[in-house]
Amino acid sequence: MSVLQVQDLTVDFAQRRGPKFRAVDHVSFELVAGETLALVGESGSGKSTIARALARLLRPTGGELLLHGRPVGHRGRKLRDYRREVQMVFQDPFASLNPAYTVGHHLRRPLRIYGHPRKGLEEVVEALLTSVNMVPATSFVSKFPHELSGGQRQRVAIARALATQPGVILADEPVSMLDVSIRLEILNLLDGLKRDRDLALLYITHDLATARYFSTQIMVMYRGEIVERGPADSVILRPAHPYTQLLEASVPGERTPHRLDELAPVRGAGGTNVILAAERAEATAATGCRFRRRCPHAMDVCSTHPVEQDLGDGHLVRCWLHDPKVREKSGDRAAPQQSAPSGA
Amino acid sequence: MRVQPAAQTGAEGRNDAVLRASHISVEYGGTVPTRAVRDVSIELHRGEMLGIAGESGCGKSTLAYALTRLLRPPAVMTEGQVLFCGRDGAAPIDIMQLEPEALRRFRWTVVSMVFQSAMNSLNPVISLRRQFSDIFEAHVPEMDREARDRRSRELLEMVGIDPSRLGGFPHELSGGMRQRVGIAMALALQPEIVIMDEPTTALDVVVQREILLEIARLRRELGFSVIFITHDLPMLVDLSDRLAVMYAGEIVERAPAEWVGGRPAHPYTLGLQAACPDLLGERRALQGIPGSPPDLRQRLRGCAFAPRCQYVFGPCADIHPVLSPLAPPAAAVIESVLDRDGGKTSKLNDWAVACHLHDRTANPAGPPDELAGDPLGTGGLVPPAVGAGLGVDPTGRPARGQDQL
Repeated sequence: MSVLQVQDLTVDFAQRRGPKFRAVDHVSFELVAGETLALVGESGSGKSTIARALARLLRPTGGELLLHGRPVGHRGRKLRDYRREVQMVFQDPFASLNPAYTVGHHLRRPLRIYGHPRKGLEEVVEALLTSVNMVPATSFVSKFPHELSGGQRQRVAIARALATQPGVILADEPVSMLDVSIRLEILNLLDGLKRDRDLALLYITHDLATARYFSTQIMVMYRGEIVERGPADSVILRPAHPYTQLLEASVPGERTPHRLDELAPVRGAGGTNVILAAERAEATAATGCRFRRRCPHAMDVCSTHPVEQDLGDGHLVRCWLHDPKVREKSGDRAAPQQSAPSGA
Repeated sequence: MRVQPAAQTGAEGRNDAVLRASHISVEYGGTVPTRAVRDVSIELHRGEMLGIAGESGCGKSTLAYALTRLLRPPAVMTEGQVLFCGRDGAAPIDIMQLEPEALRRFRWTVVSMVFQSAMNSLNPVISLRRQFSDIFEAHVPEMDREARDRRSRELLEMVGIDPSRLGGFPHELSGGMRQRVGIAMALALQPEIVIMDEPTTALDVVVQREILLEIARLRRELGFSVIFITHDLPMLVDLSDRLAVMYAGEIVERAPAEWVGGRPAHPYTLGLQAACPDLLGERRALQGIPGSPPDLRQRLRGCAFAPRCQYVFGPCADIHPVLSPLAPPAAAVIESVLDRDGGKTSKLNDWAVACHLHDRTANPAGPPDELAGDPLGTGGLVPPAVGAGLGVDPTGRPARGQDQL
């Protein structure tokens, strides 16, 4: 059941010089109860901007949010009702908890704000801590954030998000600041909570492996656009967009069928007259396919904006290589479709 | 098969060390001092990349700083010696005994460093040209302005940045480009050793991969040695020649990287490996390492990892395990296999682990299969029949105690 529908979400940022910067460009998706949707992409691709727009920490330029099918209000009571339903877990548990207040205070605040009576407050706080495996809860209530490890702090942040009994949790890189050894515990915790409470979870990350294991669907974002989306295994095991293939080839220790040196050559032959790799990675095309400057398969048609192609099974890709007409014209050799290795 | 011909450096054996540190201990002062590095011995071979892995607070960076004498109070190196053996074959230099002026010259020309956050290691208010010039003015005063400029441009080009950026400022560059500038600066004086402390942690995977390829290429071309510090074990397995895993200020396992990638011998290494799931592997239940590292202010009894270890048994609580070569018969069998394989026996002694599971007197049954150590990637130990045929004494084990990396 779809809890939160996002339609044509667009976010512009004003720049001192030049035109507005479009961080999120007509993005549509929906969050479903009991499912995790992973949003992956490099820094600056607009992942966090989407989360902040959904949490109404910033106001979108365009598009519409529908919570349980109803449009979302912009101010006052309606906005508050929305925020009660949609909660966020931030990346940095060192910055997202106030060092001057105890764990208990962090959990009592949202409860009081959303009208929980003083009576029975402590029981709820303890139940929240227990639900994130901080036991015995009583021993943590009066602790300050600096007395906790990074993993424990993130558990408190999760408990705080759960305090208002939301239907949607937006987790923006919830484990990237934590040690490798505790990341999986936190993700397992989120996964369990999602199942127990039938939450709709948006998991923002740049880690493809955990995105695959912990989510139902994956969306790959590049410079403000969703370039590929679909069932988690389908996207990871049969990546169709050259950018997704590049991301996968960059993961250490993996033997992916797409070799990085072909996808992102560092040097041209002879080392002369090449666009230098570091510079090249920065180049975003203003029109057409935004990835084409970095794309090893770039063609003439890429200067026009690609439309989403359906590869079946809900796996969609925004790339001309998969357009039936383009494929026909190029004798069907263009598409490095699905796992067909471009370099084998 | 995972075992590849030894890197040129490994094959020449352990005499060809460029840096040899022995019994390093570092404390952070305080009412109760924190013992961040505990009696670590480590050897860096010429031209090799040595990876150091472990979670935060296990002493990786402190060790690197100690090797270069970059520790600042309250950190104090309480014990240990660091010897540097140069390319020129001169007598080893004791880094701890260097006078301030000699130390200043030693740094950057011989050992340079790339820090985690290039954002903070570049000066935001002066141009890249000025920052490159600073290096040359301080270390090569005879260089004139033109030569400095030329060399700076060369360096930028070497790391894939347009030389016209020389007049620019750090904020005009992306994170990846800034990290490249950091690497170019570290290589400016053609050092013999470069220490890289999590150089790619703050970067995106694609950029990270590009930088790693760049480092690998430069190392091939310029032939320096690298100590590479990170918490990303799969990356180290991919990248380094040998790797050392640190826990609670000590090295708990050390081996040629591709062997650890095959099947590690220490439960902590196994835990780190499991904590980084395969992207394309089978779906499985994922588990981190429960608990957290010990408080290093405390005196640690027994094995520091015991409270978090699922294999804990008898001696772990009281007896401190010593880093020792992997026990026979596995090691002996491997030796013979490697011997037939082209005489790479020198690498064998390089696999050491600090864990009672591998101590045949404490644990006669031997380690469980998943910790048996499997350099050949056969998916298990070499069949017993092979070992029996070689007449290996199954209880024999090498002398403990005088291990050296």
